[in-house]
Amino acid sequence: MRHRRTVLGLGLLALGLGLTACTGASGSSSSSTGSTANSTDKPGGTLQVVQGTSPDSLDPQFSYTTQGAEADDMVYTPLLQYAVKSGTAGTQLIPGLAAALPTVSSDQKTYTLTLRPGLTYSDGTAVKASDFTHAIERACKISWGGKSFYTGYIAGAAAYDAGTASSISGIKTDDSTGQITITLTQPYGAFANLLAFPSSAPIPSSTPMKVLSNTPPVGVGPYKFGKIVPNASYQLVKNPSFAGFKIPNIPTGYVDTVNVTKNTNTNTEAQLVLNNQADIFDPGDTVPASVLSAVQSQAKARYQTVPLASTYYFFLNTQVAPFNNVAARQAVNLATDRTALARLSSGSLTPGCFFLPPTIVGHQNGSCNGADPNTVPSAADVSKAKAMIKAAGLAGTKVTVWSETRSPRQEFCAYFNDLLNQLGFKSTLKVIQDTVYFQTIGNQSLEPQAGFADWSQDFPNPSDFYLLLSKAGIQKVNNENFGNVSDPKIESQLAALLPIPATKLSSVATGWQTLDTYVADQAYVDVYGYQTAPKFMSNRVDFNKAVFNPVYYIEFSTVELK
Amino acid sequence: MDIAIFALKRLASAIVVLFAVSVLTFLIFFAIPNGDPALRLAGRTATAQTIATVRHDYGFDRPLWVQYGKVMKQILDGSIQSYTQHVTVFSQIKRGLPATLSLAIGAAIIWLIVGIVLGVIGALRAGKATDVAISTFSFVGISAPSFVLGSILLYLLTYKLRIFPPGGYTPITQNPIQWAEHLVLPWVTLAVLYIGVYAQVLRSTVLDAMTTDAVRTAHAKGLSPTRVMIKHVLRVSLIPIASLWGLDFAAVLGGSTLVVESVFNLNGVGQYAADSVRSLDVPPVLVITLLGACFVVLMNAIVDVLYAVLDPRIRTTTS
Repeated sequence: MRHRRTVLGLGLLALGLGLTACTGASGSSSSSTGSTANSTDKPGGTLQVVQGTSPDSLDPQFSYTTQGAEADDMVYTPLLQYAVKSGTAGTQLIPGLAAALPTVSSDQKTYTLTLRPGLTYSDGTAVKASDFTHAIERACKISWGGKSFYTGYIAGAAAYDAGTASSISGIKTDDSTGQITITLTQPYGAFANLLAFPSSAPIPSSTPMKVLSNTPPVGVGPYKFGKIVPNASYQLVKNPSFAGFKIPNIPTGYVDTVNVTKNTNTNTEAQLVLNNQADIFDPGDTVPASVLSAVQSQAKARYQTVPLASTYYFFLNTQVAPFNNVAARQAVNLATDRTALARLSSGSLTPGCFFLPPTIVGHQNGSCNGADPNTVPSAADVSKAKAMIKAAGLAGTKVTVWSETRSPRQEFCAYFNDLLNQLGFKSTLKVIQDTVYFQTIGNQSLEPQAGFADWSQDFPNPSDFYLLLSKAGIQKVNNENFGNVSDPKIESQLAALLPIPATKLSSVATGWQTLDTYVADQAYVDVYGYQTAPKFMSNRVDFNKAVFNPVYYIEFSTVELK
Repeated sequence: MDIAIFALKRLASAIVVLFAVSVLTFLIFFAIPNGDPALRLAGRTATAQTIATVRHDYGFDRPLWVQYGKVMKQILDGSIQSYTQHVTVFSQIKRGLPATLSLAIGAAIIWLIVGIVLGVIGALRAGKATDVAISTFSFVGISAPSFVLGSILLYLLTYKLRIFPPGGYTPITQNPIQWAEHLVLPWVTLAVLYIGVYAQVLRSTVLDAMTTDAVRTAHAKGLSPTRVMIKHVLRVSLIPIASLWGLDFAAVLGGSTLVVESVFNLNGVGQYAADSVRSLDVPPVLVITLLGACFVVLMNAIVDVLYAVLDPRIRTTTS
């Protein structure tokens, strides 16, 4: 009997292998991730997107990751949104569901907007002004990761969040006129940016106050959600009613369906796009070094690296030795070889030394403290830096460099640790698990001296970056100003710059540049580069037409199949 | 009666083990330095008030034993949700289970059959070139990490020769052919390690069995070599293999599929566990650990009871 089962088992295996051999890997699979892009499903076609990480959630008032925002950006048009353009132009705020940009009161504490008339959600329900209030209250109630932006600035939001008020007093709406008036607790220039979060997009007021990851609420956008398998895949289906609203400068979409599937193996993810078995490689992932050369040679016309608003730097604790001494900070800035660090990143980093990254108002290129990040070979001057450390009497000072485990961040810190030892410090590397890294170095009781840090924009506004170098960012736990930078000059400049409304940011670009230059001169941080992301698509897609927006990355509504 | 008491004792000890596993897994997440879940959930820019609200909303401000009790209650009534995604953990496990079961069962059948065949051939050809070849294959299989082997197979057979599809899983109910297509490489990758182990264990036990008095007597009685091999050698030699298979299968279902699932993007329970551990999401990790432990404990208990049935000395010793 046992013998017969064995034969049956071998037979089944042979059958499996035989069937596989017969059908081969023709790519006709409709598997969860391995499906081939099929160009003739529907008139507009179906787009196949592969991504290494699933969105945390598709619920707009809960999702707080790039992958989630990329999807929600297509489904939930907020009152304001970013121009659907590539590069810096894509950071400009334009009216979304609001008829125009907000009117701001003279004390810069009251924002007034009016909804466009005749808007409906994808299920046909009419959009009301009070739906905006519901969205903000829901984001607070179900603990959206960025809710501090609301509770920190909208009058009454903190009380609502704490449960001491039944609604947010600072938001007044009129459903008959569509008018929305928001009162802030203090002037906050970036407030218009908050209105462009998908979490700020109106949703029906009947939406329950719980996270709806499986069945996100309906929205107003070029697409609506189709089938969702949390942690595996989701589908965007064209919303036919959206084109009827004729909202200027917001594309209504080309393809009928976008299938987004998770593939945890980035090698496979890249190979699928390289072989045109999938259409879009998720920009949130890095093309593995093992596939990169093939991509650059075989798919040159459909691969590009795009600079992101994301700064990579080593924080230097200005409150403890040795980096409470400006000479020590300037020395490490001078000695840091930024081109070497870019090489360690396998091309996912552009060298730079200013704190504000590309696409952010105030960003500038050039040299800082005598070190030019764009010089090849590098202009890093270790000998001069070593002499500076010696002259300051800091040689031999013990330093601990904190690092995450993941690559290439650990490699960056290993380099930095070696550099500090070369300069005369007695440096050791302390590597801790990624998930608890920022909480650990954000705990002031540990007095972290130096280590890895990065910041990716929440929204394209320099104020989002300068929270990290302002006194307001210093906290006992969950500290984000890791270097504890507290400089009266920075504070006074921020006091002048922060209230400027986001819609008028370009008028103060010089002010931000001056501040950024001052920070570089004081070497408060050791910036070494800015992250880049891959724009990598199949040959079925019109590569040049597809917009890579600096905030929400690939705008699916601009992707057209050839 | 003895067997019933023995089984009840095993059941009682299994419950104690599961309780201990659940407490330890739960506590590990709170013992991690700076692993406060409220800080993670509140986001990087959270204020002290936001963190306090999150801590209260999720019940992290309650005593640990209260939190443990609440989580266990939610596990038992099936309502437990992931902290990071807010989806029911059991719905995610249900979604991933077919892929994990398909992988584990298929691989377990392959390693059992191929391991037995290679083990017997190795024993029969002991010391000859075939035996050396099988031993070499076994040691290579045991030594090769699954992520290396899987990546090599993917590179050669998928990217280069395009024989197999590039990962992913198709349910058997949807298309049995594609189901098999997608699983051949993961099966082989997972099975190779165990094939090596089984071939070597069986080779050794067969060689031992072939030198016993019973086998010599069978040969002396004039039984054919095939009959001696099947009736007297394999029958004895396969007993440890059967128990080993049971435990290995339980271990595979308890988490060993994780790497293979990730390499081939099967999106099964193992992959879900790996994602959850990465994000320190306590509920899924706790549920999957408990399910894995349940399975291991259950298989252990079954093996123990079967041994007790087969060998009365075990019953007596234990009682």
